[in-house]
Amino acid sequence: MSAPDGISLSGVCKTFRGRGKIVEALRDVTLSCPNGSFTAIIGPSGCGKSTVMRIALGLESADSGEVQIAGTVPMQAAKAGKTGVAFQDAALLPWRSVRRNIEVPLEVLGRSAATVTAHIQNMINLVGLKGYENALPGELSGGMRQRVAIARALVTHPQILFMDEPFGALDQILRRQMNLELQRIWTETGSTALLVTHGIDEAVFLADRVVVMHANPGRIVDVIDIGFDRPRAPALFSDTAFHKVCDHIAEVLHGG
Amino acid sequence: MAVENSGRWRGLRTAAVLLAIWEIVGRLDLVAGGALPGISEILIRLWVDWGDYPRHIWATLYASTIGFVIGNALGIGAGVIFALSPTTLRLFRGVNIAAFALPPIAIAPILVLTLSGMAPRIALAALGVYFVTMTATVIGLSQADSRATDVIRAYGGTRWDILRRVQFRGALPSILAGLRVAAPNAVLGAILAEFGGGGRWGLGAYLLGSLGRGEPDRLWGIGLVATVIAGLSYAVFALLANRTIGATRAVTLNTAVPDATPLVTHPAKQIALTLVTIALPFLVWWTFIKVTGVPDLISKTPLGVVDYIFFGPTAESAQKRLLAALAETLPITFLGMAAGLGFAFLLAISSRLFPRAIEAFMPVALVTQTMPLVALTPLLVLILGRGTTLTLWVTISVTFFPAFVTLAQGLALVPRSAEDLPRAYGAGRWTEMRMVTIPASLPYLFAATRLTVPRALLGVMIAEWLATGKGLGNLLNQSRGFLDYGMIWTVAAVSVLLSVLFYQAVVIVERRVLRRLGMATAE
Repeated sequence: MSAPDGISLSGVCKTFRGRGKIVEALRDVTLSCPNGSFTAIIGPSGCGKSTVMRIALGLESADSGEVQIAGTVPMQAAKAGKTGVAFQDAALLPWRSVRRNIEVPLEVLGRSAATVTAHIQNMINLVGLKGYENALPGELSGGMRQRVAIARALVTHPQILFMDEPFGALDQILRRQMNLELQRIWTETGSTALLVTHGIDEAVFLADRVVVMHANPGRIVDVIDIGFDRPRAPALFSDTAFHKVCDHIAEVLHGG
Repeated sequence: MAVENSGRWRGLRTAAVLLAIWEIVGRLDLVAGGALPGISEILIRLWVDWGDYPRHIWATLYASTIGFVIGNALGIGAGVIFALSPTTLRLFRGVNIAAFALPPIAIAPILVLTLSGMAPRIALAALGVYFVTMTATVIGLSQADSRATDVIRAYGGTRWDILRRVQFRGALPSILAGLRVAAPNAVLGAILAEFGGGGRWGLGAYLLGSLGRGEPDRLWGIGLVATVIAGLSYAVFALLANRTIGATRAVTLNTAVPDATPLVTHPAKQIALTLVTIALPFLVWWTFIKVTGVPDLISKTPLGVVDYIFFGPTAESAQKRLLAALAETLPITFLGMAAGLGFAFLLAISSRLFPRAIEAFMPVALVTQTMPLVALTPLLVLILGRGTTLTLWVTISVTFFPAFVTLAQGLALVPRSAEDLPRAYGAGRWTEMRMVTIPASLPYLFAATRLTVPRALLGVMIAEWLATGKGLGNLLNQSRGFLDYGMIWTVAAVSVLLSVLFYQAVVIVERRVLRRLGMATAE
């Protein structure tokens, strides 16, 4: 028997009710991400792409359909420490230093941070924040804060890594840099990654597959395989084949 | 840094100018034939009288400190429960509004009847603290960064994990800011209880005892000491808050939509909830009497008060006296409040027209926030006599300053770009004010009104109690003298009820107006 898929959603529906309005956030979403794959979800705002991730994380529950993370229900996978997560905004606790922020998942999971200080230091080094261990989030730039969030997502050795527009708040230049670093980090950890983004080039550069969603109701309209060799170099961003894929995705996004 | 320093210098200069004017006016006996002594005269008298002070200061400090501790324990405890359970918060809304709106002077005699020794003072100090701290705790806990909460939940963290790791620490600045406001409130509560409860020691008792002797310099000295104590208590917590807030200010804006808690939707359940909300304050009243075990003759339950005012042998005369008192108290309360709010509103919106003048005035207004203003009524008696003018001025002064601070701070939050927009199209200052400043100030005007409703009534009642011999305040004081227990309870209940009703009325109008304008309520 083969190992279960890292992330598997089948027939997931979700409706939000509020203030007399009913929003069909997700209709019949089926998606599975094989182990070790990198999947990007792209779509206009309000298409439910973040909801897909929140359901996979167990932060929201699906109205119907089945969700399995590493073969179990999401919350169980979370409590077992199999998942890691980075949100759109770094969501750091402003009163904790960089190191103490990275320790948060360990504390919640009831693991001792003291026994893995070397590993935490490795994570800090990995995201290039050596020397900033004791800085407070307020003293860091936006890009540095986001890297802390990435390190925090990786600190539990997650099998599955969720990222919800992790670089959404960064400028284009920084974003490219972070994309490169993320690719490197992901290659080193070998985890199953799910990235929610609204940047086409970011999705194409990083992912094995790009899932395109449409809104009203939120649904998956196409899944596009990206075949570029790894590791992908920055030069890929200016490759014609790369642009062709991007244009194709843009067409699908705009209902072409 | 340089800007901050120059601001500080300007504040000092303003203070120095005011003190100099005070000294000159006082030395020349320009105010009501020497009712306002020069600052040096007051200090000299303070020095002469110093032997009397320690016991009075100690009594006030003792009551306010214990009240502060108890009130905060209650406030934080209740705040945590309310933040965890919106239904409980809803159920206790009546109790909380009553705690906020009740004029302390009205229940001081009741506390003296039912409790003994220092307990009435401690209770009133604690009451002054409870609401502020409870609100600060609820707001602080529920404002927790929802993204940070998500991180904890994403790793399977429990409700307790979130409370412990995100909410408590995140609420700390808010709670500390609450304590900062609560500290002078405790001092004020203790002094008001001293006014209303007799007793030999305490700054309030000292002030009241010296009122009849016609020695302005001594009265002002006592007022000064009370103000300094209240101000210092504020400063201590301001310092503490500054220390922690530095590291806690969120570094980015929270963009996530906060979760709306599912409210009870069934109409029958909603009605039940409302009924319990209204009944709960009365239940607290009833329980309080049963717990203290004071005989029925002295303590009146809600039913006892109804019985006294409608069915008792003296019901008719009691009703007549109560209505006469209300007819005296209510008009002046509204007049004073309207005047105080009006001045504050005009001054605040004109801050856009005369920014420098307002900037110079702001420190003065802020300092008054830590002053036990109502407790200084005896000083105003010296200047204004015992007529209706006094009542009006006390009321205006206790409503004007908090209203001005609320409005000015609210207007400071109006984004610069909103004001630049009309100007970019060549609008003059008046157009800008009409289009941006005045509409933007509406939520704060309502917030200020809510804040001042109970203070206005408190101001009027204190003036009536201590000086003018009219209205509800006087009726309360008289009944105390006549041992008319039924009337004491009735006046207390009526004034609390009135306060709560005014408050609710403002809230309803506020919601209607702001909803129509698509604006959010300001806290």
